[in-house]
Amino acid sequence: MKLFLKFDFNTVSKKVLEFKFNEFNIKHKILGFGEVELLKKLTSDEYETLEASLNDYGIEIVENEKSILVQKIKDAIVDMVFNEDTNVNVKSSVYLSERLGHSYGYLSNLFSEVTFSSVENFMIIQKIEYSKQLLLNTDLTLTEIAFKLNYSSVAHLSTQFKNTTGITPSAFQRIIFKRRDIAQQKNNSLH
Amino acid sequence: MRTKNLFKSVLFLRIVLLFGLFIILLIGGFTYQHISNLTDSTKIVISTYDVNVELEHINSYLSDAESGHRKYTLTKDALYLVPYIDARENINNSILKLKKLTIENAIQQKNLAVLNNLIDKLFTNFSKTDVLVKNDEINTESFKSRLFEEKIILDSIRRQVKEITDLENKLLDDRQKDYQSDLRFTPLFFYLILLVTLVIIIIAFSKINTNLIKIKAQNDQLLIFKESTNQSEIIGKHGNWVWHIDSNIFTYSDNLYRLLGEEPQSFEANFDNFLKFVHPEDVDRLSKELDNMIEVEELPFVSYRIVQKDGTIKHLKAYAKAFYSTDGQKRLLGITSNITDEIENFLELEERNLELERNNKELSAFNYAASHDLQEPLRKIQTFVSRLEEKEADKFSDSGHQYLERIKSASARMRALIDDLLQFSRTNKPDKEFVIADLNELFENAKQDVAITILEKKAQIKSDNLPKAKVIAFQMQQLFLNLLSNSLKYSKKETYPVINMNYSKVKATDEPHLLKATKDQYHKITFTDNGIGFDQKYAEKIFDLFNRLHNKQEYSGTGIGLSICKKIIENHKGFIFAKGEINAGSVFTIYLPFS
Amino acid sequence: MQNDYIHLILADDDEDDRLFFTDAFSELKMNTRVNTFNDGVELMNYLNKEDALMPNVLFLDLNMPKKTGIECLIEIKANTKMSGIAIVIYSTSASEEDIEKTFVLGANIYIKKPGDFKKLKKVLSEVVSINWQYHTNSLNKDNFLLRL
Repeated sequence: MKLFLKFDFNTVSKKVLEFKFNEFNIKHKILGFGEVELLKKLTSDEYETLEASLNDYGIEIVENEKSILVQKIKDAIVDMVFNEDTNVNVKSSVYLSERLGHSYGYLSNLFSEVTFSSVENFMIIQKIEYSKQLLLNTDLTLTEIAFKLNYSSVAHLSTQFKNTTGITPSAFQRIIFKRRDIAQQKNNSLH
Repeated sequence: MRTKNLFKSVLFLRIVLLFGLFIILLIGGFTYQHISNLTDSTKIVISTYDVNVELEHINSYLSDAESGHRKYTLTKDALYLVPYIDARENINNSILKLKKLTIENAIQQKNLAVLNNLIDKLFTNFSKTDVLVKNDEINTESFKSRLFEEKIILDSIRRQVKEITDLENKLLDDRQKDYQSDLRFTPLFFYLILLVTLVIIIIAFSKINTNLIKIKAQNDQLLIFKESTNQSEIIGKHGNWVWHIDSNIFTYSDNLYRLLGEEPQSFEANFDNFLKFVHPEDVDRLSKELDNMIEVEELPFVSYRIVQKDGTIKHLKAYAKAFYSTDGQKRLLGITSNITDEIENFLELEERNLELERNNKELSAFNYAASHDLQEPLRKIQTFVSRLEEKEADKFSDSGHQYLERIKSASARMRALIDDLLQFSRTNKPDKEFVIADLNELFENAKQDVAITILEKKAQIKSDNLPKAKVIAFQMQQLFLNLLSNSLKYSKKETYPVINMNYSKVKATDEPHLLKATKDQYHKITFTDNGIGFDQKYAEKIFDLFNRLHNKQEYSGTGIGLSICKKIIENHKGFIFAKGEINAGSVFTIYLPFS
Repeated sequence: MQNDYIHLILADDDEDDRLFFTDAFSELKMNTRVNTFNDGVELMNYLNKEDALMPNVLFLDLNMPKKTGIECLIEIKANTKMSGIAIVIYSTSASEEDIEKTFVLGANIYIKKPGDFKKLKKVLSEVVSINWQYHTNSLNKDNFLLRL
């Protein structure tokens, strides 16, 4: 007799992963296909047994170092943008390669390979994100923010803001403030 | 002023009258005094005369007594003693009379007392002589001395009588003199007083006369004024009324009757009669207002309807205010005017306005819907064309490719038209929000929108610092964008575009362009470029909708951009002007009211 | 993209636009699952179901019969179960007022439908990738505004 099977590989893989991680008593969260978040750090011994055990099912731990490095790059950039104590006088490329001990070219390629976007792009997003925070939560003017974030001019920041978000900084500020007003009114009417 | 003068003259006349009365009383007083003086003088003359007569009597009685006594002495006949005894009695009576007559004069009384004494002495002497005669001791020494003494006493009596007479005469004389002098001054005094009175009366008369002339002139003017008021009431369709509150009497002007559709003064002017004409629905309201009016002494503008006897309905408006006449009477002076035409015009205007507003709304809704809904099929055509181009390109012949290109450019142009139309209809929408905005920021935003063209054409843009202003932010940015794109679009092919944006704050009076300025001060912003320019004769036409100075192969304009600019500036109550010179460039000047 | 898939929903009454949308994502070869609804009522009926799978990103057309995109937006933002969804306004027109209004009401992205399929693909892929970045890089979603 013959059985005709149809596999849902997603479910199969998930079941296998859950079974294995439970077997090793590792607290975890399966984020989705091909990504698992561990809730505690593994020792190198644990890591090796887990890797070997998964290999039996044809599951390989891939890109581990790469992902870690990308995360490190991201952390470094966030730190550079948001932390005012970080030395901002050096170029970001120099700063990254010095901090992570790899050439900037390598880091940049790796980043693009893993995230489908560029280091520069990520940096811009973070800078704009920070300028949004400053616009909303401080009394700083756009000129002061541009200076703080090392932009050559307020027009430069303004342009980059518009290019990234499609709206001007003042429109952004106006919209969020209006949202807050509406939320405030709702709160007031509730109480 | 005139009435004030009149009041003054009334006061003057009153004073003159009082003065005249006073003088008449004065004259009366004086006359009475004179007459009584005269009576007094007559009395004095009579009394002096009486005194003199009595004294004469005394003298004659004394003579009688003396002669009777002498006869007795000679004859010793007692018969001769009778006149002697009678004389003694008569003298006593005369002395009493004299005392009475001169009771007011102390000196004369004294003199009379002396005289009385002397007479007593004389008679005592007579008695003593009589004793000697009885005893027949005539020719004795004592008898002789008695006679001698008798003679001395008689002399004294005569002297005394004379003294009294003299004094009395002298008194009469003095009185007479006083009286004479009084009599001499009295006519002069009377004459002077009369003269003064006459002068005052003449002044008063002339004053009354001039006042009369003035009053007559004023009466004439009042008559003219009354007539002109009448006329103006007829023409101006209003009437006036006065309510004498204290006596509750009304007076209505002729035209007030006409406003009610009645003959002038054809019914008694009072409140109830008037209310008969008021529209039933308005009676309560009007009565309430009128009641209130007495308290606050003012009737605010109140409008109500009346119904004429022929059924015509009119709209009236009344206003009244209390005033006090010069005699303190409280009155309400009211004006009632016929505002039927105004109300009808207003209603008509409102109706037209509403219609216009409706039309405008419909038009703008149509415009918006049309452009919005037209976009959708067009976008799909474009998208399908792009898909054809992408997926099926290799199956097309050369001409097929060409057609595809033509479709693309035609639909691109249509899209530009629709976009601009949409933009134009949006600027037409009412209820825009005016906010304080930094014009620099709006200009920068506009610049960013054309950043690619600026780079491509290597354009140079120089701009002054702009102020903050109360504007419709979206629209101002659109205005800057349209002016920038206009300059970039109509640039000369062989030179890099240079655009200068200049700013200054100006006074309306200093700008020859600003003939219809409504504000004193304006923001003046000029855009100057070095583009292809235009003929100055089209300077106004270029702001018209769909007006293009170039054919679309040369320059891809839609003819809407500048119309939008004009619309935006109008929304801001500003002005826009264009100046051009072919192949030299153009200048666009905008004025925004300074707030 | 290392996720399972990204769940996308589009509510648009226009058949052609729905077609462009699904075609674009199938050509993009991203790991996405796309559901479409023909109007606002259909969409809200789906979202209000107990077991409804919430989309990662919701595309809303503004001009829809029965229930407009704005009405959907207001309903969604008032519902705590749905308020985490990234909302993309997907409209033919793009007036500054419309854009600002929808942003204020809580939309995250405003797309003016392009008249070119290539551009459409580019725009849609940008939306997904930026949304992903907000998701993975712990950026403040409250400040997520994008106009394409």
